[in-house]
Amino acid sequence: MESVEGAPGDFTVTLVNYPRFIDPDVCTGCGQCAQACPITGVNEYDCGLGKRAAISIRYAQAIPLAYNIDRDICIGCGLCEKVCLAEAVRYDDRPRKTELRVGALVLTPGSKVFDPKDLDTLCCRESPNVVTSMEFERILSASGPYLGHLMRPYDREEPAKIAWLQCVGSRDIHRCDHGYCSSVCCMYAIKEAVIAKEHARGDLDCAIFFMDMRTYGKDFERYYEDARNKHKIRFIRSRVHTVDEIRDTGDLLIQYATEDGRLKAETFDMVVLSVGFETPRELIDLSRTLQLQLTEGNFCQTSSFAPVSTSREGIFVGGAFQNPKDIPQSVIDASAAACAVGEILSPSRHTLTKAKEKIPELPVVGERPRIGVFVCKCGINIAGVVDVDAVREYAAGLPYVVYAADNLYTCSQDTQDAISRVIKENHLNRVVVAACTPKTHEPLFQETLAAAGLNKYLFEMTNIRNQDSWVHRDSPELATEKAKDLVRMAVAKVALMEPLQESTLSIDQNVLVVGGGVAGLMCARTLSRQGYEVFLIERSNVLGGQALDLYQTWKGEDIQDQVCKLIDDVERDVRIHVYLSTELTSVEGFVGNFKTQVKTGDGRTSQIEHGVAILATGAQEYRPEEYLYGRDPRVMTHLELDRRFMAGDPALKEIQSAVFIQCVGSREPERPYCSRVCCTHSMESALHLKELNPDMEVVILYRDIRTYGEREYLYRAAREAGVRFFRFSLDRKPRVRAGEDRLEIEVMDTILGRPIVMKADLLTLAAAIVPYRDQKLAQFFKVPMNEDGFFVEAHAKLGPSEFATDGVFLCGMAHYPKSIDESAAQALAASSRAVTLLARKEFQVSGTVAEVNPLYCSGCGVCVEICPYSAPSFVSEGRFAGKAQINPVLCKGCGLCVASCRSGALNLKGFGEDQIIAMINEM
Amino acid sequence: MSEWEAKITTFLCNWCSYGAADLAGVSRFQYPPNFRIIRVPCSARVSPKFILAAFRHGADGVWVSG
Repeated sequence: MESVEGAPGDFTVTLVNYPRFIDPDVCTGCGQCAQACPITGVNEYDCGLGKRAAISIRYAQAIPLAYNIDRDICIGCGLCEKVCLAEAVRYDDRPRKTELRVGALVLTPGSKVFDPKDLDTLCCRESPNVVTSMEFERILSASGPYLGHLMRPYDREEPAKIAWLQCVGSRDIHRCDHGYCSSVCCMYAIKEAVIAKEHARGDLDCAIFFMDMRTYGKDFERYYEDARNKHKIRFIRSRVHTVDEIRDTGDLLIQYATEDGRLKAETFDMVVLSVGFETPRELIDLSRTLQLQLTEGNFCQTSSFAPVSTSREGIFVGGAFQNPKDIPQSVIDASAAACAVGEILSPSRHTLTKAKEKIPELPVVGERPRIGVFVCKCGINIAGVVDVDAVREYAAGLPYVVYAADNLYTCSQDTQDAISRVIKENHLNRVVVAACTPKTHEPLFQETLAAAGLNKYLFEMTNIRNQDSWVHRDSPELATEKAKDLVRMAVAKVALMEPLQESTLSIDQNVLVVGGGVAGLMCARTLSRQGYEVFLIERSNVLGGQALDLYQTWKGEDIQDQVCKLIDDVERDVRIHVYLSTELTSVEGFVGNFKTQVKTGDGRTSQIEHGVAILATGAQEYRPEEYLYGRDPRVMTHLELDRRFMAGDPALKEIQSAVFIQCVGSREPERPYCSRVCCTHSMESALHLKELNPDMEVVILYRDIRTYGEREYLYRAAREAGVRFFRFSLDRKPRVRAGEDRLEIEVMDTILGRPIVMKADLLTLAAAIVPYRDQKLAQFFKVPMNEDGFFVEAHAKLGPSEFATDGVFLCGMAHYPKSIDESAAQALAASSRAVTLLARKEFQVSGTVAEVNPLYCSGCGVCVEICPYSAPSFVSEGRFAGKAQINPVLCKGCGLCVASCRSGALNLKGFGEDQIIAMINEM
Repeated sequence: MSEWEAKITTFLCNWCSYGAADLAGVSRFQYPPNFRIIRVPCSARVSPKFILAAFRHGADGVWVSG
């Protein structure tokens, strides 16, 4: 990106497209060129551990799946051009400038991984057995340089002992000037250790050297506990002094200081450096060109209530450029940025849409099958191994086959036109393509069928490239036999295919938002700004939720200011209907058409019709039962202290000594999760107290300090302000007594190894965040809840703001404890996911769904019970009352109910029992 | 050594194992051509009947992966 001119709604962006010397529109990704290329280069994707040709694809899942010539090492021999039957090679390719006119920009440039080469005490220059975590990821990968076999680079021997060193390039202002925590390394180190143990043939010993274990994400603490207890991974709280290579063996000696100050040493076969994030130089320069403000750590500056908006209007940001973060958080950001764009560009939504021409479908039901088979050569990818002529001949002789042909590239545009013509000329009513993988090409051929007037389900694709010619290079006869078998199976199946209908269903354009806290309010505001009517339900008599009791965000913004503004925006919005003191009493329907009954505080009921629902029901602060809470007025929780800050309580200034205890109610057997926000909250409060009275003694008693990302600066500031920290462990928790005039807190000092007693006038408990466990709501929307009582999202990494049940979305603390900026981002994300449905106005139901034959159904309910998407239910009235029925709108076509049905009443259209059995019969 | 070769019927989930089999091809992993793959929308689709049918049709092994 060279420059950005203009204003929100009308930017002109100048881009430079670097030459790839291959036309990606023509390249089929077959890989013949790479096989022919005589040049070997370093595979950057494998972090230099593997090799590649001068012509290559960066990684197997790349999009577009097109090759690229590395002209720095290419010798211009011309071999690739010669073998490329698709004629995609362009040696004279040059950089091209393109101009784009856009209304908004989203920056997701990511981050760089810290390069530890200059940290000379870690031996990473000298020893090949010291690898970065990225290198180790490649070593573990099945498609990596060692094919997933656990080996160390030095001698390709399997290591018996591996050490991970945490915080390399993070939380370190001395050697790399990175004062922030990279947020993800603790968790990935544990994951790598667990996976390494799975990959190891021998008994692998894994040790993680760390300062604070920061497993603050959803279900992360459990993973940590399992790693320690089940997988026996050793966690060594320490500071590593040096790593030295032991000559002759290549082993590594780690010298480290333990928490109590003793120096120790241990030898390992391999060391993994858990490297963190770093904004690359080019990105800092780009930010300058774009006039974006950066933070202290060179991340893009945003505010808590507009978490994806940069300092320049119309430019949004997501992912690790905004702050170090993991996949779910990045996915949330991405959806949130899309939502923020939608807010400013919604007037132009659908203005560039073109309607597709609809071709009437030919009636085929009851006709004898007339099958056409197209066998692809894929250049020489298939034809080089499989005897395509023989396969074509063989196919022509199969039952119901009236046409068989072979093509150089079945996927090329001219072949599509030819197929379309052949279908019409030969009155084909079923088509088989034997080529590459249906995962990439099935939609293309289905479109060709539709263009020729055939129902797209009268099609079967069989894979004679990826799963035949490419993998049986040395046995061409057997590969040809296999191709014939595969074609015969496909023909047997397609003969039994029937046209399937994709019915459409309209989507009600109203939204129900449950919960009037920050997350719910943000949802309501953004959806209204995008033109949707919102019904906002709040169980209490006031909007604002937990934020009403919070003083400042971790970035130092005043929360009350912002929340008041948000509430004001929502209350004044004519498209938002606020229902206070209201609860849901029933929910009927499904995606697109829900009917929800609500009961307001005065006993009145009303019905809301809506197309989607967002659950933002939040969580609350735990009421501690320990540490004299509730029995001594000097003991309070974070929210109570925040209320005092907001009230400007003059007594706070007079306090001589204040103590904080962390993890009260969190990370305990009863509540094994980490509440994520409390460490940062204690830092903020400790700093406020220090501001009020710099002479105040402030002490924080903690188990691990989890100030992730740039929150780490607060931890540093607290230490600089003189706040003292003492660590305790779960089996030696602090003891609190009410002394004569002051509180007495006894804690085991891990450095001295003996208990010490401190006196305090104020004890703040960092109490856990506990979910409401609203079983009724979960049942209404058929959404799951985990054992801790938080709602379970569709996918922990890739679907964090939606449920597996279509049309129901999730955000805020009902998902997991989170800070205001994270709740705000997830609210925007959930809204964005909702808009992807709403904007379509109608819903296309897939044809491959389950169906019930009620005559066979015994009404046992197995299908109703096991379906993860709540598609089956019982018919409530009529002739088939008590029998199962499938809602095709909710059905994902997985076939779980079909395989589980004891009566054979269920069938999966497109993957019917008769069709699969026919394939087995032909095998 | 006998000349006998096993015949294996394979049911692969479209979303994971089938994609993995594709990737094995992209990576040009070579393996014996003894099995035939049936793509299913999810390994949950595989009914015990299919496994029995495969054995009845002479399969020496059935592999369900998903």
